[in-house]
Amino acid sequence: MMGSADEALNAYQLPKPLPIWLNPAYARHIVKGNFMTLSARPKTVEEGEWVAHQVVEHYRNLWNFVRVIYEKEEDGKTLCNSTTCPRMSAGANHSYTWLNSRFEPIELPAFEYITLMQRWISGKIDDTKMFPTEASGVSFSHNPQITTTALLNGPDEWVGKRSGFPQEFFGICQTIFLQMFRVYAHLYWAHYTEPFYHLNLEKQLNSCFSHFVLTATALDLLKPQELEPMQPLIDLWAANGTFPPESKAYEYANLKVGQRLLQLAGMA
Amino acid sequence: MSSPEFAPPPERRTDTYGRNAAYNQKKCFQVAQGFFLDAVRRARERNDRLKDLERRLESPEMLLRREQLWSHSGKLEARYLRFLRTKEQLSNYSVVKTIGKGYFGEVKLVRKIQDGRVYALKRLFKSEMISKEQLPRVRAERDALAESDSEWVTKLYTTFQDNTSLYMLMEFCPGGDLMTILIKFQIFSEDITRFYAAEIINAIEAVHNLGFIHRDIKPDNILLDRGGHIKLADFGLSKSFRKDHDSRYYQELLQRPASTSQMTRPGNRVSVNIDAIQLTVSNRSQINEWRRSRRLMAYSSVGTPDYIAPELFYDQGYSFEIDWWSLGTIIYECLVGWPPFASENPQDTYRKIVNWQHTLFFPDDIQLSHNAVHLIRCMITQPENRLGRNGAIEIKSHPFFAGVDFTTLRRIRAPFEPPLTSDIDTSCFPVEDLPQTEDPTPSPAGADEYEMFLPFIGYTYKRFQTSYT
Ligand SMILES: Nc1ncnc2c1ncn2[C@@H]1O[C@H](COP(=O)(O)OP(=O)(O)OP(=O)(O)O)[C@@H](O)[C@H]1O
Ligand SMILES: [Mg+2]
Ligand SMILES: [Zn+2]
Repeated sequence: MMGSADEALNAYQLPKPLPIWLNPAYARHIVKGNFMTLSARPKTVEEGEWVAHQVVEHYRNLWNFVRVIYEKEEDGKTLCNSTTCPRMSAGANHSYTWLNSRFEPIELPAFEYITLMQRWISGKIDDTKMFPTEASGVSFSHNPQITTTALLNGPDEWVGKRSGFPQEFFGICQTIFLQMFRVYAHLYWAHYTEPFYHLNLEKQLNSCFSHFVLTATALDLLKPQELEPMQPLIDLWAANGTFPPESKAYEYANLKVGQRLLQLAGMA
Repeated sequence: MSSPEFAPPPERRTDTYGRNAAYNQKKCFQVAQGFFLDAVRRARERNDRLKDLERRLESPEMLLRREQLWSHSGKLEARYLRFLRTKEQLSNYSVVKTIGKGYFGEVKLVRKIQDGRVYALKRLFKSEMISKEQLPRVRAERDALAESDSEWVTKLYTTFQDNTSLYMLMEFCPGGDLMTILIKFQIFSEDITRFYAAEIINAIEAVHNLGFIHRDIKPDNILLDRGGHIKLADFGLSKSFRKDHDSRYYQELLQRPASTSQMTRPGNRVSVNIDAIQLTVSNRSQINEWRRSRRLMAYSSVGTPDYIAPELFYDQGYSFEIDWWSLGTIIYECLVGWPPFASENPQDTYRKIVNWQHTLFFPDDIQLSHNAVHLIRCMITQPENRLGRNGAIEIKSHPFFAGVDFTTLRRIRAPFEPPLTSDIDTSCFPVEDLPQTEDPTPSPAGADEYEMFLPFIGYTYKRFQTSYT
C-alpha cells in the first residue's frame, strides 16, 4: 500500500540515510496552533498592502537566521564560507546561479550569493516607490456587497494599484520570495546541523520556515514547482498537522510521502 | 527516536562555536520567539477589530454608512501595516522641549515630522541601564504600558532604539504632574484630595487588573491630561509575574565576557541612599526647603523613599497592597502639605517608614476630618490589615468617599484644568529647571540595523492606533 509513497520518496533522490531535518522528531515547532491566522489577509485590507507587509516580516525573520551563519567570528571566519559552501546549493540536485550584469548565470559561493540577495532585497524594500510608506496613500479591499464606489473606478489592473504600489510590485515580491526560499533551502540542506541543531535553534527555524511556506503559497508568491528542494519536508508538515488541510501548502503536499516519513520514524 | 532510515542525530555541542555564534544564538532565539508572540497578539487584536466591524455593519442604523465603515477600517489597518513596515528613528521627530527628567533618561515633547502630531518621547540610555541593573525595569515598563488599553495609563505608541538609547513614544499629558501642582498649591482641600485620590484608586486598580504592581506610585508619576484628569506614568519599577521580568533572567543573558566589569553594584532605586535633604517637619522654613529640593530629589538616582511601603525594604516579599500604602501617603501629603515620613535625609525617612507605628502622626495645627484620618490610618498600616488588600472596592466603600461615583470620574470637571494655548504648550512643566540643550545625536542608525544590545531585543513595539491621520 505504501508502494506509491516509497516511489514518490525515491523520486526525490534524497541522500541515504535521510537528512536529520526530515526526521519527524526534529521537524517540530516553537508555536502550536493554526499559523494560517498569521498569513491570511484581513478582509478589509487591500491585497498589495498585505503582500508588502508579509514580505518585510518574512525578510526580517529570515535574516535572523542568516545572521548566525553570516556574521564573522572573532577569528574573522563565517560559518557559511567558500570552503563549507562553494556553491549556493540545496542538496546535490539543486544549485542556484545569480545573473551578472550581462544577464549571464554565474555560480557563486553561498556567502556571496546571500550578500547579493540581501543587497537586492533591501534595495527594493527600502525603496519607497516600490514599497510606499506614506500614511495618506492607503486604500482598502473591494467588497462587492459593500463598496460600490470602488467598483465604479473599474477593476484593479494590478495588485496594489489602488494603494500606490507600482505595476511591477507583485512580480518583484514573487522574486523576493523565491530568493528567500532559496536561502531557507540552503539553510536546511547545508546548515541544519551546523550550526542550527547544535545551537538548539532548529525548532525556531522550522516555525519560521513553515510560516514562510504557508504565507508564500496562500498569497501565490511561490508556485508549487518552486518548492521542489523542500518538498519532502512540506509533505511531512502536511502529514504531521503543521499545515492545516484548508491551506494551499497542504494542497501542494504529497500526503502519502509525509505519512511514510512518519511511519519510518515509528511515529505513524 | 532514531531510525536507520534517518541520519543519526549527533550529540549537541554548543561549545564548539565561537563567542559571536553564542551571542547570535541567543539573539536568534529571542527574535524568533518574540516574532511569534507579537504576530499572534496582532492577529488576535485584528480579529477583534474585524468582529467589531462586522457587528457594526449589521446594525440597521449603519445601513447608509456601511461603505464608509468598511473603507475606513481597511485604511486604518493599512496605515498600521505601513507603520509596522517603516523604521522608527529619532530623526523622524523634531524636539520641542525637554519636559521631564529622571535618572536614566529624559522626557521630551516632540513633533512627528511626517504627520505633525505631538507626543512625549522618553529616552533611556542603555549604558546607564546595563551598569545599574535596570534592564527588567525597562522591559516591565514597556510591557505594562503596551498591554494596557486603559484611560488611566499613558498610552504607548511605539518603542524603538538606536545604539545608545531606548525610546518610548507616548501620549503627551499636557497638564504636567501632581508633584508640580502640589508644589504650587502646597495643600489641597478635602474635596480636591478626594477627587485625585478617587482617580488614583481607579488607575491603580486598572494596573492591578493587568497583573502588574506599580511599586512607584508617587506624585511625580501621576500625570495630568488635557482635561486635568490623571494618568499613571513611569512603570519602571512595576512588576508582573512573568519570567523575563526577573533580574536573574537578564543577568544570565548578560553573562558575556566582554562587559562584566561593573555589574555587581546593585543600583536598585529602592535602596536608600545619599543626598541629605535638610528637613525638620516641625520647622516651617525647612519645610519650604524640602519643597524646593523635592524636584531635585525626583531627578536623583534613588528618588525619594517617601511613598514606599515598609515591606518593600524587606526581602520577605510583598504584593499588590504596596500600591495602596503609597496612595495613603499621597492622600496624607495632599491634606497636610508634606508626606508622612518626610525627614532630613532618606535614611531617616526609611527609618521612620519601618517604624511607622511610632512615627505616623498628624500635626495638631491642621484640621482633618475624622474620615480622612481614618482612611489614611487604614492604608498606612501593615499589609495584612491594609485597606485594599481585598481589592479596590474596599477603599472605594470607605466613608471618606461617600457619594463619589467612581464610574463617571473622568467625565466630571477636574479641579485644575490646564490652561493650554496650543498643542505644544508646556506651561505646566518646569522647563526652566531643565537643561534645554540638544543632546549629542545618537550614532547614526548604524551599518548593521540589527546591531542592538541583546537584552533589548523584543523592545520594539507598535500599537494599533484608531486615529492615524
Ligand atoms: N507622557 C508624558 N506626558 C507629559 N509629561 C510626561 C510624560 N511622561 C513623563 N512626563 C514628565 O516627565 C517626568 C519624568 O517621567 P517618568 O516619571 O516617566 O520617568 P522618570 O521618573 O524620569 O524615569 P525613571 O524613573 O524611569 O528614570 C514626569 O514626572 C513628568 O513630569
Ligand atoms: Mg518618574
Ligand atoms: Zn552555506
